Amino acid sequence: MSETVTIYLDDRAIEAPKGMNLVDACKLHGVDIPVFCYHPKMEPVGMCRMCLIELGFEQRDRTTGEVVLGEDGKPLVRWFPTLQTACTQVVSEGMHVRTTTEAVRRGRKDIIEFILTSHPLDCPVCDKGGECPLQELTMDFGPGKSRFLYDEKIHLAKRYPLGEQIYLDRERCIQCARCIRYVEEITDDPVLQFYERGRRLQIISTSEPGFDSKFSGNTTDICPVGALTTADFRFGARPWELDSAASICTHCPVGCNLTLNTRLDRDAGGRVIIKRVMPRQNEQVNEIWICDKGRFGHHFTAAPDRITTPLVRKGGKLVEATWSEALELVAGMLKSAGKAVGALAGPTLSNEDLWALRRLVEGQRGARLGVWPPTMTGGDLIAEVGVAQGTNFTDMGKGACIVVVASDLEEEAPIYWHRVKVAADRGATLVVVNGRATKLDRYTRHRVRYHYGDEVATLNGLLRQALGDAAPDIDGFDQLRAALENAPAVDAAAAQAIAGATDLVVIVGGEGLSMAAHGALMQAAANLLVATGHVGRPNNGLLAVWPGANTQGALDMGFTPEDATHIIDNAASFEALIIAGADPADEDPRAAAALQEAGFIVATALFLTPTAELADVVLPRMSFAERDGTFTNGERRVQRFCKAIDRVGESRADWQIFQQVGAALGQGRAMPTPGVVMAQIVERVPWYAGMDYPTLAEVAPQFPMVGGEDLYYGGTMYKNAGGLGRQWAVAAEQASYQARVRVPKAPAAPKPGKGELIVVPVRLLYDQGTEFYKTQLVHRRVPQAYVALNAGDAARLSVREGARVRVRLAGTEVEVAARVRASVPEGVALLPLNLGVGPLPHAASVGTVAVAEAVGA
Amino acid sequence: MGRGAPHPKMKAGRDVAHIILRDLDIPDIWKFDVYVENGGYEGLKKAVTLTPDEVIEVVKASGLRGRGGAGFPTGVKWSFIPKDAETTYVAVNADESEPGTFKDRQIMEGNPHQLIEGALICAYAIRARAVYIYCRGEFWDLTHALDARIEEARAAGFIGENILGSGWSCEVYTHLGAGAYICGEESALLNSLQGLLGQPRVRPPFPAQKGGGLYYEPTVVNNVETLTNVPWIMVNGADAYRQFGTEQSPGVKVFCVSGHVNRPGNYELPLGTTFRELIYEHAGGILDDKGLKGVLTAGASAPILPGSAEVLDTPLTYEDVQKVGSSLGSASVIVLDEDTDMVWAALKMVRFFKHESCGKCTPCREGTFWMERVLSRIHRGEATEGDIDLLDEVAAQIKGKCLCALGEFALNPAAATIAHFRDDYARRVSGVPESTAELETQAPIEAPVAAGD
Ligand SMILES: Cc1cc2nc3c(=O)[nH]c(=O)nc-3n(C[C@H](O)[C@H](O)[C@H](O)COP(=O)(O)O)c2cc1C
Ligand code: SF4
Ligand code: SF4
Ligand code: SF4
Ligand code: FES
Repeated sequence: MSETVTIYLDDRAIEAPKGMNLVDACKLHGVDIPVFCYHPKMEPVGMCRMCLIELGFEQRDRTTGEVVLGEDGKPLVRWFPTLQTACTQVVSEGMHVRTTTEAVRRGRKDIIEFILTSHPLDCPVCDKGGECPLQELTMDFGPGKSRFLYDEKIHLAKRYPLGEQIYLDRERCIQCARCIRYVEEITDDPVLQFYERGRRLQIISTSEPGFDSKFSGNTTDICPVGALTTADFRFGARPWELDSAASICTHCPVGCNLTLNTRLDRDAGGRVIIKRVMPRQNEQVNEIWICDKGRFGHHFTAAPDRITTPLVRKGGKLVEATWSEALELVAGMLKSAGKAVGALAGPTLSNEDLWALRRLVEGQRGARLGVWPPTMTGGDLIAEVGVAQGTNFTDMGKGACIVVVASDLEEEAPIYWHRVKVAADRGATLVVVNGRATKLDRYTRHRVRYHYGDEVATLNGLLRQALGDAAPDIDGFDQLRAALENAPAVDAAAAQAIAGATDLVVIVGGEGLSMAAHGALMQAAANLLVATGHVGRPNNGLLAVWPGANTQGALDMGFTPEDATHIIDNAASFEALIIAGADPADEDPRAAAALQEAGFIVATALFLTPTAELADVVLPRMSFAERDGTFTNGERRVQRFCKAIDRVGESRADWQIFQQVGAALGQGRAMPTPGVVMAQIVERVPWYAGMDYPTLAEVAPQFPMVGGEDLYYGGTMYKNAGGLGRQWAVAAEQASYQARVRVPKAPAAPKPGKGELIVVPVRLLYDQGTEFYKTQLVHRRVPQAYVALNAGDAARLSVREGARVRVRLAGTEVEVAARVRASVPEGVALLPLNLGVGPLPHAASVGTVAVAEAVGA
Repeated sequence: MGRGAPHPKMKAGRDVAHIILRDLDIPDIWKFDVYVENGGYEGLKKAVTLTPDEVIEVVKASGLRGRGGAGFPTGVKWSFIPKDAETTYVAVNADESEPGTFKDRQIMEGNPHQLIEGALICAYAIRARAVYIYCRGEFWDLTHALDARIEEARAAGFIGENILGSGWSCEVYTHLGAGAYICGEESALLNSLQGLLGQPRVRPPFPAQKGGGLYYEPTVVNNVETLTNVPWIMVNGADAYRQFGTEQSPGVKVFCVSGHVNRPGNYELPLGTTFRELIYEHAGGILDDKGLKGVLTAGASAPILPGSAEVLDTPLTYEDVQKVGSSLGSASVIVLDEDTDMVWAALKMVRFFKHESCGKCTPCREGTFWMERVLSRIHRGEATEGDIDLLDEVAAQIKGKCLCALGEFALNPAAATIAHFRDDYARRVSGVPESTAELETQAPIEAPVAAGD
């Protein structure tokens, strides 16, 4: 820790880091100062006045600057005549603080009494009841009885929708502004405001749709009363009725730590279901936040159309079957397929599932293990120069540089976006490299724009500019230098920011890229890091915005996107395909066609997806909430998740299914638990050495303290008791590491002809992804399928806002609504994926947009 | 304690030379030409021949104190602006919202160029690039007129690029608030100027410090009257100014007198004039020759004083008014005669504060609301003796806990009327109210926004 100062806390000398907030410093030394408006992740505002303390400073002689001593030889302390708010103080040398005096006790009681005069005290029906800071602090410090006449209480709206997802109870609001400040300062969605003044002061939303933020749910955790509730949970259960299970979000590669709150539910026919999803603190991963997709997107687990029994094709139709019948059939087919067996593993298969699947396929001497979707690659580069262990966005500020390439980060990995944005607020330099404007652009002067297809050239150019004449002694640098000769000059200021950084992280997305192009871009990004010496140290290295929650784990377990592409390209040569938790037929037009030609297909699935419809045997898999396992997030942190609810129907975990098939094929006994499967992984996958289940479940104290006793301070999010996980070390962290750069080989950029555009498929957070779209609550936030054009192109093509247009690209054609947006570059059409118009290619390609002819015309 | 010399000419009668209210001496001095003919903009011309620091020294030496209420020494405030600050601003506080305060309005209507000149001298002293005059929303007509005056000053080269060849450039803008008392509080004023919600900021940093001012740059916030003194001081010197008033309260002050007096209005007098002289000589005594029950010295903000001989003989200075238990504030003297029901008066004032509380901090937001409830009940004759103590306790409970001074002001009407006029309260709780003041209907318990679904 940096410089410290000595302060006197209730007459006890304590050391605290210079510049630390006084409330935080006291907290670290075990002294609770009650707060409502202060939140350790936000700037203090001194509004609620709950944190009153007695404050004094040692007197100093005006001329000498020496501390003046009293007769007893102790420093003379000048105390403020009135109580002061602790939250608006930072610790400084010679500060004296008293928190236990009669005056302080009275001050706290007075503030609580004031707050309660306008409070409805409907604790018995309040969602926050049982985990409410106001309740807690009233019990600790409040008066036992109110002197305010009940009949004179103010009455306000009790059920005011700020948007369809978050409701405000105006009577319960204590005007602490935590919610406003969170969306204004932290997520930069300034959609909440105070309106009016005095006792009429109230929260309003100024956006359409209401409370338009992808992080709105977090405000319900930091709201110190029951004023903000989610439409998903409000009046759903009392907090003390809920059970908790540690889990991990499956919607994106961030791997946010979750707590799943469950309860027996009458409406669900007496089953135990997930009642709400809460953030679980992991300061290295998601801190205390999650995005709304993670919070609300759990309903697929309890969806009525889950597959509940194995299905086998009989007479062209899928009909229900027993497990033994289905497994026997699968084993038989695999046996007769011989080596011609391939596997496609989906984005939410756990490491244990993947391992079991790999053993099954390898046991048959099948060679192809594909990870789905095969849109991004470069796992080998991550293993070489991925962000080093201990990398933490929270530690990045001045001196750090974060380069984000080819990603609309808020849409693809919201909490990465959140943390990168806050790092920028702290002074980290951002360089945003993209073909179009995204929300991240707001926080930097370094916005580097490329034409889609020139991604690699752009990074090469930045590297050439950043290096100048420097010629680092690195393997392969001479060849690279020669290749860089022709790289364009891109942005001198951005290059300088990169060259001058003490720490450098490059985050690479896959927007508009084919797998091959993405591989080249990953190489260019790796070169940038290696050539500037930013690998192998914490807060340095490469980070990929993988398409799936456990894409990293799949790569670690030996699955590759190249194999997935090979399988699709050569589907006819596979006599048996195992498609686990993946839905290629829905996502990729080529896969949809290719799978028709494959031999026997066995699919594990939650729903009867388009892929499952093509299968010969469909096996019901468990959702993440029904079983244990581990995921490896984008930062290579292996994290455990635990069973929260009972399995749906007869579903089984993938790892069980594959081992049972393996056993039927004589491959050996099935492992009894995923922990034992992990033990096998650890033996065979060197990166995972030392990671048994108990280690992954280890926790350590984190700051700020949240949940439980500390809910008034950090919020109601859960304290982490389930494990912080372990990050595996990359090659660059080893002493034996040999720095190496390679010339990236980018495929040719698409070149539109006359009348053509580059159609760029883009990912949206709110889409019709099978699992997410089962949550009704989010439907209003999922747009109708559209294509977005620049005004100039729209005019040229006679396309008006809202017009039905036909988009042709790479052999696919879809009809969608047109949007005209200034943020779209000229010559480009943005086509969001997964909005219900069927499979779309993932890479940018030359295409056309034309007004759709009226039917029959 | 040295009593300053009385304002020599003012003693003589009405046709005296004023420093601030020069419109009373010189017809049409609001016109640019008339102002210039009568020595206008000479103070600015003199100032730019000095260094900024020298200008500050002159103002410091004059002992001029802020006329907006707090009475902070003006020159000292200017000297707080960091010398190396690249961007600085002047914000002129023309929000004039204190009940019973109407001096800034007369200055801006009657002698506007002197305010503009004073603000420019301040801007020169702190090397500000811009002056913002923040006017309360109701001053829209006055503000449009002020814009015209600013254009005249610009046309004459007193505003704009390279003013008077000094190499220093400065703009002057007006800004209309939306009519909120809290926007007169300096940090709320700055927020409002920036287009933010008019709520006070946590201090430090203070406006003069980096991070605390307008757009978070060092800023001087001064009241209209304060700045209007400055041209005179520049021309006549600090010593000349100090011949008026007292050692600790030098100079002249515009006293706004209202209430039960024969001649309400603005009186520019030396500080140190007694309440007695102000009320009985200048304001013509109490209506119908009634007795004096109490005096509010600073509108609704400072504790009311009883109409005792001791109070009447107290000189109107920052230090003396404080000694008798109130404060001079903006010197808006509201005179209440013997028939005034102090419960009614307190209720009026508490309602004002409840209405004007910005709501940012708990004790003021909830405390003003609660006091209004209890006081209404007392006023309606529906309260008990215990409610008087409750009211007193609630007021005490607010004290010292608020984020800004409004909340601290807000407790005064109840606390001070209970302290001095408890009998008025006792009558209300012991039976049917007998006051001549009309009984107000109970304020509705509001539900400002319709229920959701
Ligand atoms: C609630 C409140 C209202 C105020 N209203 C005004 C006002 O209307 N005009 C004013 O000049 N000062 C007002 N002030 C005082 C200002 O905060 C500030 O002290 C003053 O503008 C400084 O200028 P001065 O030093 O020239 O007096 C108010 C203060 C408070 C707390
Ligand atoms: S809704 Fe909650 S977080 Fe927002 S101001 Fe009210 S009490 Fe605070
Ligand atoms: S950021 Fe990603 S991992 Fe985190 S909650 Fe959202 S979707 Fe889930
Ligand atoms: S004291 Fe009143 S006016 Fe001042 S900040 Fe608090 S609520 Fe607002
Ligand atoms: S004022 Fe300090 S916690 Fe609210």
